[in-house]
Order: sequence, then C-alpha cells, then structure tokens
Amino acid sequence: MATKPADVQGFMVRPGGTPSRRPLHLFWIVDGSGSMRADGRIQELNFAVREAMPELRRAASENPSVDLLVRAVAFATGASWHVPDPTPVEEFAWPDLRAGGVSDLGAALALVATELRVPPMPERALPPVIVLISDGRPTDDWETGLSALAGTPWGARAVRTAVAIGDDADLEILQRFSGRSDLRPLRASTIESLTSQIRWASTVALGIAVAGEAAGVPVPAALPANHTMPDVWGPE
Amino acid sequence: MARLLMPGQVVRTEPSGQACRVEHFIGGGGQGEVYRATLRGDGVALKWYFPHTATPAQRAALAALIRRGAPSTRFLWPVELAGGDVASFGYVMPLRPARYRSITDLLRRRVEPRFRVLVTAGLGLVDAFLQLHARGLCYRDISFGNAFFDPDTGDVLICDNDNVGIDGDSTSGVLGTPRFMAPEVVRREAWPSADTDLHSLAVLLFYMLMLHHPLEGRRESATASLDKAAIARLFGTEPRFIFDPNDDSNRPDPDVHRVVLSFWPLYPAYLQDLFTRAFTAGLRDPRGGRVREGQWRAALDRMRDEIVYCGACGAESFASVVAGPPAAPCWSCDAPLTLPPALHTGRRVIMLNYDTRLHPYQLDERLAYDFTSCAGRVVRHPALASLWGLRNEGGSGWVADRGAAEPFSVPPGASVVLSDGLHIHFGAGDGVVRAPTAQTEGQRAEAS
Repeated sequence: MATKPADVQGFMVRPGGTPSRRPLHLFWIVDGSGSMRADGRIQELNFAVREAMPELRRAASENPSVDLLVRAVAFATGASWHVPDPTPVEEFAWPDLRAGGVSDLGAALALVATELRVPPMPERALPPVIVLISDGRPTDDWETGLSALAGTPWGARAVRTAVAIGDDADLEILQRFSGRSDLRPLRASTIESLTSQIRWASTVALGIAVAGEAAGVPVPAALPANHTMPDVWGPE
Repeated sequence: MARLLMPGQVVRTEPSGQACRVEHFIGGGGQGEVYRATLRGDGVALKWYFPHTATPAQRAALAALIRRGAPSTRFLWPVELAGGDVASFGYVMPLRPARYRSITDLLRRRVEPRFRVLVTAGLGLVDAFLQLHARGLCYRDISFGNAFFDPDTGDVLICDNDNVGIDGDSTSGVLGTPRFMAPEVVRREAWPSADTDLHSLAVLLFYMLMLHHPLEGRRESATASLDKAAIARLFGTEPRFIFDPNDDSNRPDPDVHRVVLSFWPLYPAYLQDLFTRAFTAGLRDPRGGRVREGQWRAALDRMRDEIVYCGACGAESFASVVAGPPAAPCWSCDAPLTLPPALHTGRRVIMLNYDTRLHPYQLDERLAYDFTSCAGRVVRHPALASLWGLRNEGGSGWVADRGAAEPFSVPPGASVVLSDGLHIHFGAGDGVVRAPTAQTEGQRAEAS
C-alpha cells in the first residue's frame, strides 16, 4: 500500500513546498473591427483561439517553473479588455468576440502598456508574450501606442508576434510590432492556417520567453512526440 | 640562384607540340622546379626536372601516368609531357588554386579550420588514396608536403604525383619523407608500396587531427640530438605509439607535447582505436596490421555525422564523446552542452545541427560520397525561430509519420517539424528523429 509522503509517523518524508515559479503573462490583442465580419472571420477567430488552447496548456504544463496567465484585449472603435483578468491557462475560457467599428490598434497597444508597468506587473517575472491578430490596417495613431508599449520595462522585453488574417493585413506594421527579424508575421488565409498560426505564435513565443534569448550558435530542438503543432510548413 | 627555366621561355608539349610559355617560378623540390606557365591561353603548372633526375625511367613513368589518367579529380595529375631545346624535360599539370593550403600551414596554425573541415579533408584524402590504390598504383611519398586542403570546405588536392607507380614495381628511387616512412622502409627492408602508403597515410591523418606525430613521445623529448641514428631508432627500429595501451614507455611529455594531449581526448573512441591499431599492429605487420582506407573512411564519415556545436561558444564536439547523460561541458568554454535531435537511419546517427545538410549518400548507402548534392537540410521556421524542421531539398516527396498518427507527405521544398519519434521515409532510405535522451522530459521522469 502506498504511503502518503507526509504521513509516516506524522513526519514528512521529504521537505514540503513546490519549486519557485515565475508568472508569464500572455496578452492576445485581437481585431474586432467591422472588416472581421466579412466571410465569417470573427467566428473563425473565436474557433481558432479555442483550438489553440490545448497546445498552450500543454506547453505551459511542461514548464514547471512557469505560471502562464492569459488575458485579451479587443480593438475596434477604441479598445477594451475582452478578458480583463490574468487568468491561469488551465481556467481560461474564450468568450465569443463580436465585430464592428474601425480598427484602433493604437488604443489597444496603449491599454496593454498600462498593464506592463511595475506595478501592476511584478518586478520578478518572465518576459510577457503579446500576440497580435489582425486583418487590416490601423485607423488610429498606432505608432504612439507601440511607443507607449515599448516604453514600459516589460513591454520592451516582451516577445511580440503577429498573425495576419487574409490578404489585406498590413504586414509591415505587423513586422514593426514584432520588432525582430526572426519573428515575422504569420499569415493565415484559411481557417486551418489561422488555427495553426495562432497556436504556433502563442506557443513558440512562449518558448522564447521561457528559454531566454539564445547566444552563440542556435541548437535545434525537437518537439515532444505528442505535440499538436502542424507537421509541415512550406514550400516557401 | 639559377633557375632551370626563365620567364618568357617556351617549351613544347609532347607529342602535340603546343607552346607552353613560362611565367614565373613557384617552388622547388628534390627532383626539380615548378613554374607557372601558359598553355593554349590557360594558366598551368609546369614541373621541370633537374638533369640528374631527368632519367629515361622517369620519362617512361610519366608517359604511363598520363596514359592512365588521374584516379580522381583530387589529383593534380600530369596531363602532358614537355620538352624543348633545353636539356631535360618536364610535364604540365593543373595549377593548384590559391584557396588550397598546405598541411604545414595547418601545423604552424596559419589556418584554423573547424573540426568538420578537418574531418572532411581527411575523408577526401583517404578516398583519393583508395581510388589510387584500387587501380593498382602506389603513391610512395605521402607527407604533409603533397596534400593540400581548402580550410573553408575541406576539399583536398594531392600534388606531386610523378612518383606514383605500379604497386610492387620498385624502379622509382624514392623512399619517402622522414617521419612518414613506414618502419620497414626506414630499416631499408622494403621499398615504398601500397602497404607503406597506408602507414604514411595514418601518420598524415594523425598530424592533421592531433597536430603531432604519433611516435613522438617521451623517447623523442629525452633525445638530446635528433640525429640520423635517433631518427632510425624512433621511426624504424624501435617505434612506439605514444598512446600504446600495452606500453606506456613513450607517452607524450606533458611539457613538450601539450597539443596532442589536448586533442586526443576530444575524438571518438572508434577513431582512437583505429590510430592505436595503425601504430601498434600496423608497425609490426605491414600487410595485415595496418588500417585500410575503407576503415578510415567509415570512421571519418561517422565523425562528420556526429559533430555538435556548443550553443554558448560554437565550438564543435563529437556527440559520442560528450553525450552522457549527463552531457559533458564544452571543452572550449566549459558551458553545459545541449545536444540537438538526431536522425537515426539504422546505419548512421546524424546530429541535426542548425546547419546540417543531409546528402543523398547518407540516406542511400549504395551511393558514393558526395558532399555537394543535398537531399535535405535543417531549417528554422521562417517566422518562429525556435521551431525547427527538416526541409526536403530533393526532387521527390517524403512520407512521414508520428507513430499512431496518419502518415503525411513532405513535398519538395516543404519542411517537416522536428519531433521526437518522427519517422521519415526519404524514398531510398528512412530514419527516425530522436530528441537527446538527457533532455526528454518523459524519459527523465521515467528514469527517476
């Protein structure tokens, strides 16, 4: 019969406690503008984010030193919190997003920037991950919003990736948002690719945030056998 | 010093009678001098013999070599005889491009090639000599003066091929180069042959990989004057390998032979075993004891497959030496090494580094060594730098599967995401991707 660790003659057999963990904040910034109503895009987005959750949970569970906390901002005419509280990834549920209005990306970036100051962010954390999903061009002053975001201590360190929906998204702006040549915008033209791109963008950015920046020579890694990523990309 | 030929002088190729104009002196040796010259508008090398070496036998041997043709493109082979209104004769051969550097440059550390380059160069050399010996020829004077390599690619060229002859035919007066001669040649018991070439080749490989002579240990450092008698003893009558497992009397001297002591432990055991055989049994038994080119080729090929990089400093190690678990620290910077995934093909274990290319011969064992054609390569996802894949660089599709899941195709130009247990059918062969044992969370959990 198995003995509970803390139950041998009233003493613990091993010291208690769990390893120290750092919070990792993931922000989704999603486009809820009127153009997302076309071709059922907003429904596809809702579906794709829900589809991405299992992979994200798995990735988080493989990193015992990480507390993955997720929230979301939506932008249309202005920006507002779609999921305001930093929610443990195990408990996260995506509420349906509705589309309508213009495309105020700058307002969304400024809103996230307020959350990346210290406080409310702790001084000790992992670099946040910010995933931007959009199908068009910003209608407001997005550059000021990006400057505000990059001007915060955690915003500057954040790993930022973008997913472009359809052919109208402004890839140059999305690239500026990412700010690094090894994280180019991911393009999604079908629902299948949207699902996989959101999954990849979130999980891979998570990996970068946890592992830190590689110095010297990059060493490839294999995904675990049970991964749920797409198996093939390209041809390019 | 007076030269055999003057700039502007014209000699004639034989029998075609083409004008070959001398441009300038390149270098001299024991048998003659080499010049840069122009033939039919192209730059060529022209070797001209000293009168005393310009024998009818040498001329006949050259004519035979020209008739036979080069065993492979790695030989700067004589292409035409040349004579003229001057005494003596010579021959025309291709020029050695400037990117090729000598083994002497390597030993003097005037070039610092990576391990991959050195191993590739070694592979090229043993393959070239295999081609030569397979044609019933022997080289007779393998040494660091005659082999050249490109420090960026590991391509090799073998020069001074005019001593090549039919194996067993001892008409050539050449004995070889001191330190490279087989013990039985040093003792004057044998003439250079394909068997003695194997000893010289092993010495050359040891020099290239260890920057040291395999027989120079304490006995050498304890010898005050390396005179003729001492050389005859160290390399002829009493040769001892510095790492002879049964005789430690000639170990490297830590004060004098530091370099070989730092290189030797970095190499895989199977390579150390081949050197041990070459310089123990191989010293005593020229016919049966020496390591053959095919054995060197297999070992060097395996070494090429198992090179890994230190993520912190980029230095190369051989996976079988450092794998663990736990993996050894980097020999260069002491940082902990992280091993990349590996492709297991049954015959090979190919480490999948960021710059690894799969060559067709690695996937289809019937094919000959060729590092220029590419069947696949490790790539990063274009947007997501921490995702790695294997891109199909060939002309036909691959089929891959992940165990229970449905097989899927990887068309030419597409990349398959590297994952533990991924099975890829390349067409001519197949392989399984394995994450390094030490890093697999699941295996770590199983072990604990």
